[in-house]
Amino acid sequence: MDTVLEATKTFVEVAEIWVPEEGRLVLSGGVYGAHGTFAHASHDESFAKGEGLPGKAWAEARPVVLKQFDGSYFKRTEAAKEAGLTSAVAVPVFAGSKLKAVLVILCADDATRTGAIEVWAEADGILTLDDGYYGAASHFEWVSQHTQFPRGQGLPGGVWASNTPILMRDLGSGYRFVRSESAGRAGLTTGLGLPVPVPGGTTYVLTLLSAKGTPIARRFEIWDARAARTGPRETARLTDGICEREGPLWDPENAGKERVAHVWEGPVGRVLGTGLPVVETGAAAGGYAMMVGLPIHRGGELAHVVAWYC
Amino acid sequence: MERLVVIGAGMASGRLLEHLFEAAPGRFEVTLFNAEPRGNYNRIMLSPVLSGEKSYAEIVTHDDDWYAAHGVTCRFGERVQHIDRDRKVVTGATGDVPYDRLVIATGSDPFIIPCPGHDLDGVISYRDLDDTNRMIDQPPGTRAVVIGGGLLGLEAAAGLRLRGMEVTVLHLSGHLMDRQLDPAAGYLLRADLERRGISVMTQASTSRIRGEGRVEAVELEDGTILPADLVVMAVGIRPSVKLAQASGLTVGRAIEVDAQMRTSDPNVFAVGECVEFAGQLFGLVAPLYDQAKVLAATLLDEPAAFTPKQLSTKLKVTGCDLFSAGDFSDGQGREDIVFRDPARGIYKRLVVADDRLVGAVMYGDTADGNWFFGLIRDETDIAEMRETLIFGPAYQGGSVQDPLAAVAALPADAEICGCNGVCKGRIIEAIEGGATDLGAVRGATKASASCGTCTGLVEQVLAATLGDAFTITAAQPVCGCTDLSHEDVRRLIKSRELKSQPAVWQELGWRTPNGCHVCRPAVNFYLLADWPLEYHDDPQSRFVNERKHANIQKDGTFSVVPRMWGGITSASELRAIADAAEKYDVPTVKVTGGQRIDLLGVKGEDLPAIWADLNAAGLVSGHAYSKGLRTVKTCVGTDHCRFGTQDSTGLGIRLEKRLWGSWTPHKVKLAVSGCPRNCAEATCKDVGIVCVDSGYEIGVGGAAGMDVREVERLAKVATEDETVEWTVAFVQLYREHAKYLDRPYKWLAKVGLDWVIDTLSDPATRSALVERFDLSQTIYQTDPWAQHTARETARSFAPIADLTLEAAE
Amino acid sequence: MSWIDIGALGDVPVRGARLVKTHAGCIALFRTTETEIFATSNTCAHKGGPLSEGIVHDRKVTCPLHNWVWSLETGEAQGADQGRIATYPVRIEDGRILIDGDAIDRRSAA
Repeated sequence: MDTVLEATKTFVEVAEIWVPEEGRLVLSGGVYGAHGTFAHASHDESFAKGEGLPGKAWAEARPVVLKQFDGSYFKRTEAAKEAGLTSAVAVPVFAGSKLKAVLVILCADDATRTGAIEVWAEADGILTLDDGYYGAASHFEWVSQHTQFPRGQGLPGGVWASNTPILMRDLGSGYRFVRSESAGRAGLTTGLGLPVPVPGGTTYVLTLLSAKGTPIARRFEIWDARAARTGPRETARLTDGICEREGPLWDPENAGKERVAHVWEGPVGRVLGTGLPVVETGAAAGGYAMMVGLPIHRGGELAHVVAWYC
Repeated sequence: MERLVVIGAGMASGRLLEHLFEAAPGRFEVTLFNAEPRGNYNRIMLSPVLSGEKSYAEIVTHDDDWYAAHGVTCRFGERVQHIDRDRKVVTGATGDVPYDRLVIATGSDPFIIPCPGHDLDGVISYRDLDDTNRMIDQPPGTRAVVIGGGLLGLEAAAGLRLRGMEVTVLHLSGHLMDRQLDPAAGYLLRADLERRGISVMTQASTSRIRGEGRVEAVELEDGTILPADLVVMAVGIRPSVKLAQASGLTVGRAIEVDAQMRTSDPNVFAVGECVEFAGQLFGLVAPLYDQAKVLAATLLDEPAAFTPKQLSTKLKVTGCDLFSAGDFSDGQGREDIVFRDPARGIYKRLVVADDRLVGAVMYGDTADGNWFFGLIRDETDIAEMRETLIFGPAYQGGSVQDPLAAVAALPADAEICGCNGVCKGRIIEAIEGGATDLGAVRGATKASASCGTCTGLVEQVLAATLGDAFTITAAQPVCGCTDLSHEDVRRLIKSRELKSQPAVWQELGWRTPNGCHVCRPAVNFYLLADWPLEYHDDPQSRFVNERKHANIQKDGTFSVVPRMWGGITSASELRAIADAAEKYDVPTVKVTGGQRIDLLGVKGEDLPAIWADLNAAGLVSGHAYSKGLRTVKTCVGTDHCRFGTQDSTGLGIRLEKRLWGSWTPHKVKLAVSGCPRNCAEATCKDVGIVCVDSGYEIGVGGAAGMDVREVERLAKVATEDETVEWTVAFVQLYREHAKYLDRPYKWLAKVGLDWVIDTLSDPATRSALVERFDLSQTIYQTDPWAQHTARETARSFAPIADLTLEAAE
Repeated sequence: MSWIDIGALGDVPVRGARLVKTHAGCIALFRTTETEIFATSNTCAHKGGPLSEGIVHDRKVTCPLHNWVWSLETGEAQGADQGRIATYPVRIEDGRILIDGDAIDRRSAA
């Protein structure tokens, strides 16, 4: 299997997973690419609740976007600067009221990279943009700041209303995607939206909007792991997915013949077994430079796994 | 090579070609006509294309390369005009094509309701990619009305909503997807769609579509007008058979074929939605693929026969988990197995006949759907596993339905104590803060400290929070269908805003499909008392007297009592009553204790006629049969009596005119006496008013039945207006709080007169109660006799058929 | 069997009933769901109550006079009560209700 695809720049540079251990968050895995120094700085680090970016996501029980490291609570600013990393998003993974892990994604700014990682939050029965990182897609950022989603409308509203991850195609064409006109200009193609459950019941929706030239991912997967859908054996079904190489990953017959992941087999199987996110690279990531598998819990139980590969 | 012409490039013919090219490459020279200007795509996946969750490129089954590789001559965008079966030639717009054998796969056309305005711009069907793209081209904010709450209509609605439109679904039947789901699953589906911001209207019949050139609104039979920019008709499909008909093939409801898919012409075959086999039509994809396989074998001169199989249904709306298979409503000798888990929104129903599973409906938990479907299809004997069947193949000891499930499912902000506005969350906080018994919770939160009706629920919250550490005092459940008491059910209907019977059955975990003769009348009353506008009274949940608006007697005949306001009548009314008694052979005419005249022994089928006669004389129903206001008895008061202090007759008439027609937990009788001598016997009524020089004494909670009680004083007021206000407010409080079949005195014993006086002493509360009562009266203060004498309903009182006459002919 | 058309399915309300007069006495038609119908004797075996006036729930009816509950499928009394009412074959075809005339004749001859 070829290890690296086209030489396009990817939107995300670094992904890492922090897990609670004796009251602090410690690094359990990460994909750092060429950023060896930053990797080194991270291995020596740990965070108390409320400390640094991962600690903040834990303490505040919400996804956090940070676009300016200088003078912020970010602890690894020097190493990040050296690596050219400029922005980060931390996503807490809760099962009920228990923190399982914090996923941190880091990006590097330049004039060409476009894409979006957004956090939407509910207030007074409507979803508004909490914060987002857009790279060079500044017009789209402005449009997003001025867009609101009622229940069931658009990618964020659809995720909110169905409490299910959703994968959308062709963001820039027609009115399929509520912000399509601006998305089209920014070159955005595929969008993944997922609920981020937190204690206390506030609704957060995370969206990853990928552009053709600087993709967040070349392959997206949504796995349904609910016993109510797959039976009590620990398996998950690939309900939707799209891949630059393989094309559609869903069952065209719609007849219950989706691909199945078994517990402990492969990275998705590991998410099923542990309920923790995974990041992988190389062979373990199916030949991709980076694979992220993120569990979504509902009512304390694992409900879905979303995975993206770049 | 054999020349094969195929008319229609849909999923069935596409599958047929795949089979042919795989089994015998090079044997057929295929010409493929398609009216759509494109080849075969996965039509059942149009809904995710509409919603944006799939792209058209992903659902193309056969692209240009595929057709080229198999040497298919594609005539796309070209309609076939004629088939000449004698010459074996098909004529298209660009010329003739001869065939050796012909396959007709013209599929189906959407059914368009031929109402006025159906041809306006902006009214579209939902069938192919062009329809889908037309919907996609509408901007966000478009007001879309989808006509048809079946599979296709709901998928369209969800897709349009996801694209940012304001969507309303209109459905003719009482619940969504009525062909595939029962009312309980239909209720859950509706709730799910409403959570997505989609409005759903059932029993909604479209009368016309309004607009000047372009659609502007949809008008319903009941006069409702829904503004609309887009109307999507998704009410059904009709097999497309015109071409086959014109060419003289045998066509019934569709093109008739034998088990080899051969039409009445041995060289012409048909496959897909345009065929009729053994009287059946086919709309789902599974049997179409079976047909394609059989037809491929037939064309390859191999033996094969098509047999229709059981079908299962899924709705392609992301996050909507429903499954329906087999036949869950037809036939006799069947038994239901029902499982509900309100906390997780799960409903499962299995239908068993002769130790075989014949139908399954599931919502929320569909994991075992395919297993159940297998049992249905294979007609497996399930006698051995019957008891545990509903728990699925992985059953290991099984979970029993938890009696605390309904309370456990309540959200933290559900109001448990209506008097003091205490939510479940507060009670749990108090319990976690150390209040581990009822008294402590009452002390800490005031929950159940006023009228006490919610005591049972507070105890259940204690039990659900503390587990085995708390023992509930067993409350009397409504009936065998539930573990909840009447008080629990009433409170939960309010706090969870349950507005239909299926909502109550599901959210409160009922064990039966639709209740029983004990719970259904009670739930029907609670719903109509709490939600007069949203809920519609269900006659089939009423005791016969209230359905027939007359009192059933022990021999099955009825008694009829016309209303006499305040006990006052006139010569002409008496004459009309006498005439009716003679005309309908009424054996007994009696004066009642409530100052009315009772006609006893009327035959059921004569009821509409006798009402019509009495109505014509200005008499309306006396509701002498109802759990509602019966009579207001009066004395003659100041008009004639030398002791009278006030106009007791006038007040009685005024009260009766205000209160009549209202449904109450049990019957309600009033009396107004003009002086303390109390000739109207007001002191043993549910509400008794005694006039004195200085005003009016209002007493409540009297009884003169198996229990005899004197009224206790509710209030003393100075004016007639205040008397009416207090009385109406009291009746409404009783309507909102009492257990079904508790007379006011029994209810007062439970909540305490002091609480009632406290509540009603607040002028704001009093006027709010009066306002809610009057709102309810706008719906329910109608004369049932006048309604029932309408010809249509009158017919329903007569036998549906009389076979004694037929046999004699 | 000789199937007699006695009316449209829509003429019987869901969870409601209608009467058919026959030589064997009155028969009650019960519609338990949108597409399910049963026929039994209209007369309660307890004290003769008119069963078509009762409340229909699940596949049962409760007599309006004294709340005896009858199975519409088997005709047997439910719960602690003992007894049986006659049931008649009935089916639905194209929205019409058909009843077995032979079964009625057998009962009126008996």
